[in-house]
Amino acid sequence: MDNIAKTAKSRKRWSAWLGLIPFLVFCLAFEIVPILLLLRDSLLLKDGGMTLSHYGDALAPLYLKSFINSIKLSGLTAIIGTVLGVFIGYAIYRWPNKRVQDFLVTLSDVTTNFAGAPLAFAFIIILGSNGVVTQFLLQYFHWKIYPDFSVYSFSGLTLAYVYFQLPLMVLLIIPAFAGLRKEWRESAFNLGADTLRYWLNIGIPVLSPSLIAGFTLLFANAFGAYATAYTLTGSRLSLVTLQIGFTIAGEVLHDPGIGQAMAILSLLIMGSSIVIYQIATNRARRWTRN
Amino acid sequence: MKQKPSVSQVLLILFFILYMVIPIIATYVFSVATRWDRTILPEGYSLEGYTTAAQNPYFFKTLRNSLVLSLSTVLVSLIIVVPTVYWVHVRLQSAKSLLDLLMILPFGIPGVVLALALVQVYNFQPLSRSALLLIAAEVVFTMPFMYRSVSNSLAAVDISTLTEAAQSLGADIKSVLLEVIVPSIFPGMLSGSLLVFATVFAEFTLARLIVGAGFKTFPMLLVEYTRIDGTIAAALSVISFTVAWIASMLILWVGGKGVRSTQDIVKAK
Repeated sequence: MDNIAKTAKSRKRWSAWLGLIPFLVFCLAFEIVPILLLLRDSLLLKDGGMTLSHYGDALAPLYLKSFINSIKLSGLTAIIGTVLGVFIGYAIYRWPNKRVQDFLVTLSDVTTNFAGAPLAFAFIIILGSNGVVTQFLLQYFHWKIYPDFSVYSFSGLTLAYVYFQLPLMVLLIIPAFAGLRKEWRESAFNLGADTLRYWLNIGIPVLSPSLIAGFTLLFANAFGAYATAYTLTGSRLSLVTLQIGFTIAGEVLHDPGIGQAMAILSLLIMGSSIVIYQIATNRARRWTRN
Repeated sequence: MKQKPSVSQVLLILFFILYMVIPIIATYVFSVATRWDRTILPEGYSLEGYTTAAQNPYFFKTLRNSLVLSLSTVLVSLIIVVPTVYWVHVRLQSAKSLLDLLMILPFGIPGVVLALALVQVYNFQPLSRSALLLIAAEVVFTMPFMYRSVSNSLAAVDISTLTEAAQSLGADIKSVLLEVIVPSIFPGMLSGSLLVFATVFAEFTLARLIVGAGFKTFPMLLVEYTRIDGTIAAALSVISFTVAWIASMLILWVGGKGVRSTQDIVKAK
C-alpha cells in the first residue's frame, strides 16, 4: 500500500471517531466528569489542601454502622437469592412440561418489575403488624411473629430484597443449566460416577462462573438499592444509600465531605462487584455460547 | 419419555410461586378493600381508593410529570444512542469495546451516587435541581437498556452489506437511512424505548434526590401515600405495576426474545 492511500485510510478512520463525539460528550458531561469531580472533592479540604480525613470521618462508628448494615443486608440477600435461585432454577429447568417452564420464566421476568416503593408497600400489607400473613400465622398456627420480626427492620428488609433477588438469579442460572451438556452427564455415569461425583467434578465447576456472576450481581443490586429501603424503613435502619440520600436532600445536617467519601466508598464496593460479575460472565459464556 | 416432577421439585416451585405472587395479589386486593386489618379476608370491597386518589390534584399532575419525564428520556436516549450504535457497527468496529465498557458503567454506579455527583456539579441555573438535569440522569441510567436492544437488532442483520447494496443501486443517504436502516433496527428501538419508558416511569431515587418536590413524579406521590393512606397507596401501586406490566407484555409481543439479557433486568430498586 502506498503512502497516500495509507494516510487517506487513517484519516478516514480518524474522522470516523468524530461520529462518536455527541455520545461521548454526553457521557462525559453527565456521568464521568461529575463522578471524577466527586472523587476530587472527597479528597479536598475546605481551604483546597488534600486530605483523607473525610474518609476517616466516613468510617467513624456512626457511619461505619451503615456500611456494615449495607454489606450485611446485601451479602445475606445475595446468598439467600443465589442458593434458593439455583435450586428453584434447577427445578424449573428439569420440569417435564414446557408450558409450565415458560410460565415460570415469564413469572420471573414480570416480577422483576415489581420493585422499589410498590414492593416495599406490598410487604407492609402482608407482613405489617396487622398484615394478612401476620394474621394468618397468628390464627392458624398461633405463631405471633411480632415483635421478634418487624417488616420495618432488617428482617423485613431482607424478605423484601429476596423478592427482587430471587427471580433475577433464576433468570441468570437457567441458561447456565442449559450449558451442562447431556453427553457429559452420560459419559460421567458410564465411567462409574454417581450423582454426587458428577456434581462435584463436572456440574459445580462448570456452573461456578455463573454462580459467582450471580452472587456478585445480586450483591451489587442490593447494595445500590434505595427506594425499597427508603419506603420500608425510612430512617429506622442506617444504610449507606439512605445516608448519602440524606446528604443530598439535606434532611440530616452532614458535613458534605463525609457524604462524598461515603459515595466514593460505595462506588468502589459496587464497582468492584460489577467488575467481578463481568469477568465471571465472560468465563461463563464459554459454556453457554453453543 | 414423560417424567413426573419430584416432590422436592413441586415444593420448590410452589414456594417460588407463592413468594412471588402473594405480595402482588395482596396489593391488588388491598386497593379495593374497605378494611383489611382485623380479618384474613377483607371486610368489604370498594373502588374508593382509586376515586379518592384521582380527586387529589397531584394525581394527574404527577402522572403527567412522570409521562413527560419518561417520554423525554426515551426521546433523548433514541437520539443519542441509536446513531452511535449504528456508527460503531458500520464504521468504527474498533470502538465497540469502549462502548461496551461505557454501557456497563451505569450498573456499577449506585443511583444515589450519580444523583449526588450531578447535583454538586450542576449547582447553577438553569440546570440546578431541574427536570432537565433529571432527564440527563435518567438517560445515563437507562442507556444500557437502549444500547443492548438496538445493538442486538443491528447484529441480527448485515447492515453494512445492506447499506452497500442500497448505495450501489443508487440510493442516497436519506433513503438508505429511512428505508434500510430504520426498518431493520425498528424492533430494537421499540423494545428499548418500552424498557426505558417503564424503568423511568417507576424510578424514584434519581427523581426524588435530583429534583424533589419541585417536580413531583408518580412514584414520589406513591411513597408519600404509604405514610398517609394505605388504600390509596395500594391503588397507586396497582397503577404503577400495571403500567410496567403492560410495557413488559408489549416487549415480549414486539419479539424481544433475546433482546433482554439478565443484566438488562437490573433496575432501580
